[in-house]
Amino acid sequence: MPKLMIDDRKIEVAPGVKVIAAAEQAGIVIPRFCYHPALGSVGACRLCAVKFLDGPVRGLQMSCMVEARDGMVISSTDDEAVDFRRFVIELLMRNHPHDCPVCDEGGYCLLQDETIAGGHAMRRSMGKKRTHRDQYIGELVQHEMNRCIQCYRCQRFYQDYCGYRDFGVMGSASRVYFGRYADGALENPFSGNLIDICPTGVLTDKPARFKGRRWDFQRAPSICIHCSLGCSITVNARYRELVRVEARRNDDINGHFICDRGRYGFAFANHPDRPRQARINGRDTSYEEAIQTTTQRLSEIARTLGPDSIACLSSSRAGVETQMSLKFLTRSQGWRQPGCFVDRSEQNSVTAAVGRLTPERVVSLGEIEKADLILVIGVDPILEAPMLALAMRQAQRAGAGIIILNPQPVSVPFAYDHRPISPDDLCSTLQKWTRSISSQTRTESHFVEKHEEYRGPETPSVPCPLPPVDSLLQNSRRPMIVCGTNIVGTAIIHAAADLARDIHSDCRFPGLFYVLPGPNAFGAAFASAGGKSFSDILPDIETGNIKALILVEADPIFQFPDQERVKNAVKQLDLLVVLDYVPSRSVGFAGQSLAEMVSPAPLHVVIPTLTHFETQASFINQEGRLQQTTPVHVNGLPMSQLTGGKHPPRKFRSDVPGAGARAAWQVLSELEAVLSSTPADSITFADIWYRIGLAWNISVENRTEIPGNLRILSTTVESEPMTEHYRDD
Amino acid sequence: MPRNEQIYPIFLIRLQLETINKMQSPSSYQSIFEGAYGLLTGFATTIRHLFRKPITEPYPEFKRRLPERTRATIILTRDPDGEERCVACYLCSGVCPVNCISMQSAERSDGRRHAAWFRVNFARCIFCGFCEEACPTLAIQLTPHFETCQPDILRLLYEKEDLLVNHGGKNNAYNFYRHAGVAMGIDKGDHLGEDRPVDVRSLMP
Repeated sequence: MPKLMIDDRKIEVAPGVKVIAAAEQAGIVIPRFCYHPALGSVGACRLCAVKFLDGPVRGLQMSCMVEARDGMVISSTDDEAVDFRRFVIELLMRNHPHDCPVCDEGGYCLLQDETIAGGHAMRRSMGKKRTHRDQYIGELVQHEMNRCIQCYRCQRFYQDYCGYRDFGVMGSASRVYFGRYADGALENPFSGNLIDICPTGVLTDKPARFKGRRWDFQRAPSICIHCSLGCSITVNARYRELVRVEARRNDDINGHFICDRGRYGFAFANHPDRPRQARINGRDTSYEEAIQTTTQRLSEIARTLGPDSIACLSSSRAGVETQMSLKFLTRSQGWRQPGCFVDRSEQNSVTAAVGRLTPERVVSLGEIEKADLILVIGVDPILEAPMLALAMRQAQRAGAGIIILNPQPVSVPFAYDHRPISPDDLCSTLQKWTRSISSQTRTESHFVEKHEEYRGPETPSVPCPLPPVDSLLQNSRRPMIVCGTNIVGTAIIHAAADLARDIHSDCRFPGLFYVLPGPNAFGAAFASAGGKSFSDILPDIETGNIKALILVEADPIFQFPDQERVKNAVKQLDLLVVLDYVPSRSVGFAGQSLAEMVSPAPLHVVIPTLTHFETQASFINQEGRLQQTTPVHVNGLPMSQLTGGKHPPRKFRSDVPGAGARAAWQVLSELEAVLSSTPADSITFADIWYRIGLAWNISVENRTEIPGNLRILSTTVESEPMTEHYRDD
Repeated sequence: MPRNEQIYPIFLIRLQLETINKMQSPSSYQSIFEGAYGLLTGFATTIRHLFRKPITEPYPEFKRRLPERTRATIILTRDPDGEERCVACYLCSGVCPVNCISMQSAERSDGRRHAAWFRVNFARCIFCGFCEEACPTLAIQLTPHFETCQPDILRLLYEKEDLLVNHGGKNNAYNFYRHAGVAMGIDKGDHLGEDRPVDVRSLMP
């Protein structure tokens, strides 16, 4: 462990750490442009120069290129180093255009900060500035090449880190150009990260172009809800409108980056047709009237037809509080237990996966990068969990082998060994490997081996012919079993868990990583224990056994494949209550009410709810990690929609326009209180978590701020036994 | 201290009386004389000013021409081409110590950055002039026009239409987009102090 001294501070770091990173550990941030913890160092910008006063290296050196060694004495504030850095800044600014006022990076621009910090204020160069033509690189990222300072971060991220080849560096000398060979949209599904890593305004956010300055935004840490990984994001909003989403560093899950789906998929929160007012049969009404009508009709139905004629359905995108509030509501009223899935097989798969995760075997996304062999069963990573593909690429860059067992063709940005085993054989193959490894005997693989390599010569090729999977597994120290829940059945999910369990030995520590179908599918498995999926209650609706259906942030009317059947079934209902924040088919689009789609329509009550950007919401990701969002702004009609882009209204008002929505758990708690005739005023977020804590027998110290490292696993949480209703094949 | 002459002698008299009492040698004639002298000098000054020509001017009948750099009402100026100079960069609203400037930047149909709306709340403005100093395009300027009183506070809310003028204010020549490197009306390489765009595919040194 090298011990060194930086700016009179003693520090001990791990071997191989660069001086710039060692200084960061000591709390000293050395200026940098090209160095990035995730991308490593190249020494391109020359800004991180420090003076080595004593030790094995002497003189002015780039701190990102020198490894920390014993006995080093370093000064980042030495006159020579400070002067050098000022000249570097002046050199980089020589060609920089005079366009900060119209540049979206202004306000959080690293070049701006370092220029001010370095003391460069007046341009001394008399020469002309070098200019570049810009490119069209798609609808997500804006290109303005004049601002470039040649740090190579974009090219290193795009090609080395992500493995895509259509964006790179061209030209020579001072003409170095970062872009595509020709205009066209970027092919990389992680291209939005270019915006975050570019230290200046070459690559900026196109959908948020000219929407405002960073210092004016309301910002809050949040969680992405576009897949089950639950990546950390920072949300930016202004005037009640979501403007931008940025990656938030979380070394356990997503590292420094997020995928484009997570970065740009927030338009639902600003949707002009978003339900903002309670509606009964398409007519706007007050929240109180909607609650009154709903409770009246529900008690009537429960009294005349029995509590079993009321069914509730939530979804895997609803937060833990919402799902559990629905469960408490149904339990207190004696209705049917709530479901959270549209399809039976989906519920069975998720339930099986959640049931098989144990504290010994479960791994985070961050640990996938440290694997030496990854076995991917029935997952298309880019489609189902994009950041998983990026993590697997990092593992592969570090030398891991990747085997994808999938009957479908998949496209991932790394070399992998595709074994298209048919779904029928998959389970038996996995069981065969389990037996083979646990009995420590080698067997020959009998199936077809196919070797596919992703385009581009930068990825190391996998040796051919391929060794059998079981021997690879046997020789690995940290194998990861990544298993999907979408196209594989419960048998394969169990087989994958068995494989992870049985190949464990003193020198082999397998990890188990399931990919689930929604951001809170894990919580949905708990909440829907004892409940049925929509496909299972549909026959009861058709026969008239269910007369009231409550949909909580779920849209089975759209998601169920047989649309005609659903429409006919909805006609049998007396009451359809929809709680949602998106203008889904179940809510009825602004122009098209349910009555226009279905006739005769049941009494249709729509109660608007809040997104996780506007209220605290908790989600359990696919590894059981309980994470919470922070509200970034108040709910209400965005200013731009209120005034049509003109100036804000010139009259005083005390309320927020369009703020009729409440959190779904608040609405459900109020329904429960009204139906049980108890006071409803005092139901808070902490109350809900108190009830959830009692239900799961977990102790959450501070019930309004849940730590991000709390894992909720079926083995550590007491809940109702989660059984698969029907064994599917 | 000529301005305080009317008040000052009264204090003097009190002080003197106290001093005399303390001295334990009361000479009442002397103190009366000194007091009267003090009063008379004061009144003499007052009477003298009654017959002087007044130095104040009757406002609003007479309006003095204020210096060009007097800081009062804010305007938004135009560049020599007649375009709005404001690029809605948020520097004025960022520097404003009383948060009286608000705006929304937007992209015009031709790609130019402009303010979709721009509002100055003169009920809050303290006319410090920081916005003018911060403005990189010379768009926002303070003028000597100070008569902005309104009976209704909402009428002190000036929108972009109220602020925009048809001239360049203190500088009629400056055009930000001639200096900025962004291609907006002016092609890349045609801005002041710029080289022609480089040929990336050239291998020449």
